Amino acid sequence: MTTHAIETRDLCYRPGPGFEIRDLSIKVRQGAIYGFLGPNGAGKTTTIQLLLGLRRARSGSISILGLDAPRELPRILGSTGYVPERPHLYPYLSVAEAIRYHGAFYPGFDWSYAEQLRKAFDLREGAKLSRVSKGEMGKLMILLVLAQRPDLLVLDEPTDGLDPVVRRDVLSALLDFCSQGAATVFISSHLVHELERICDWVGVLDRGRLAAELPMNAFKNGIKRIRLGRAPSLVGDTPFVVISQERSALEQVWVVRGWQPTMVQWFDGVGAEVKEIVDLDLEDGFVELLRGARAPQEG
Amino acid sequence: MRDAAVFRQVLLAQWRWARLALVVLAVVGFAIPLASVFYGADLAGAGRSRVGDWLVAADRVASVLPYFALLTGVLVGVMAWTPDIAGRHVYALTLPVSRAYFVTLRFVAGALLTLVPAGAFAVGAVIASVSVSLPPGVHAHPADVAARFWLATLTVYAIIFAISSASRRGQIAIISIIGGAVLVDLLLLTLSADFSITAEAFALLTNWPGPLAILTGRWALFDV
Repeated sequence: MTTHAIETRDLCYRPGPGFEIRDLSIKVRQGAIYGFLGPNGAGKTTTIQLLLGLRRARSGSISILGLDAPRELPRILGSTGYVPERPHLYPYLSVAEAIRYHGAFYPGFDWSYAEQLRKAFDLREGAKLSRVSKGEMGKLMILLVLAQRPDLLVLDEPTDGLDPVVRRDVLSALLDFCSQGAATVFISSHLVHELERICDWVGVLDRGRLAAELPMNAFKNGIKRIRLGRAPSLVGDTPFVVISQERSALEQVWVVRGWQPTMVQWFDGVGAEVKEIVDLDLEDGFVELLRGARAPQEG
Repeated sequence: MRDAAVFRQVLLAQWRWARLALVVLAVVGFAIPLASVFYGADLAGAGRSRVGDWLVAADRVASVLPYFALLTGVLVGVMAWTPDIAGRHVYALTLPVSRAYFVTLRFVAGALLTLVPAGAFAVGAVIASVSVSLPPGVHAHPADVAARFWLATLTVYAIIFAISSASRRGQIAIISIIGGAVLVDLLLLTLSADFSITAEAFALLTNWPGPLAILTGRWALFDV
């Protein structure tokens, strides 16, 4: 029994000059709601496409639901619901036809749940997909993957461009579904606060590299900005992770993650003076993580 | 059971997408054989010369059939893949079936859809055949011509389907080969050479056992 729904090891992919996914190792434990954060162009969609066999990695390995990708792709896709960044359904079908088409491919497709969701989402059966709104298309795509009753949901910016009402409907349906079983959700977004509500684990991707992978609690509560006087000049083993350091004549400002209140003793031990510890909100934490990840490369 | 359900949905989706073109092709296919008998329906007592003229006129109408089969095959072949091409194949590639299986589903569904214009043509051919009183020695061949029409359509469909379903690299290779052949021909033309690659290739394709040989020759609905 595998403990990880998704596991990549040293994944490398280079679509062309200027961008590459390098040594990407992700671990998404089963049952987690994993937020895959990153700025636009970080490689989130490319990574998802690698996971689902839409692109072939140059090297590295991918295991999904304990199966080797892309070798066992049909079996993987049979247990995986995928909502791509852009609508992929056939626009000439109606809502009812799209549901029937999609459902036929999945033996475990839950027709009654699909109908229940269709009504809850207020989607007209006869509405042509070429004429539905962006919000309705987003709801239909979520409906289709939820009714598959998948073990793994891979959602690529599923609420991007949706209005707040539709966004709430979609996320509520997602949370309802997750509360019914042990499905793993891998959801990519650049909207930090959206993931805060639903995710219990976060991976941050930047420029094709994993900048951090940590529990949401540690992300929310464990990232601090610490103002120090008499800071140590050399940082040895710290009980937390130093993301960035800024020095001025009078003080230093450190951004750290994995912080716990008792760790203030470490500063006492190295003779530093802690002037202030500031809680960073999620967005600030995200920005600091990115800054920290970029610093050595730009260094 | 699941295979049948999946195939039914693929067929229905393909029909949804191509139905307007198929209905137009069916109407035209139905009308062409009827146009063959436009020049007269009662030939039982007609003289030799009038029967001869009538057969020439009917032949002239029948001469459009290979072009119509070509058009039908090309349209159905192209339309089999256009929705997936528009979506960069993302939907098809993320369905839980192997690529070969999905391609087979698409191919068989498209092949069945060619029966719509072919069937309409067959009905038109039968109606045309029974609506004319033929003199002794002249026969109608509605079943033969209809079967040939369907086979010709299927052949063209299969070729276009194969090209459409090829990878982008494969398609570029095919286009490059054709473009290269045309360029070489132009070069040969400037050198006044008595040889043409495209003409040779065309002859190879359209002469038996070339795959397009079925499109050549006479397509007579009525013959002696």
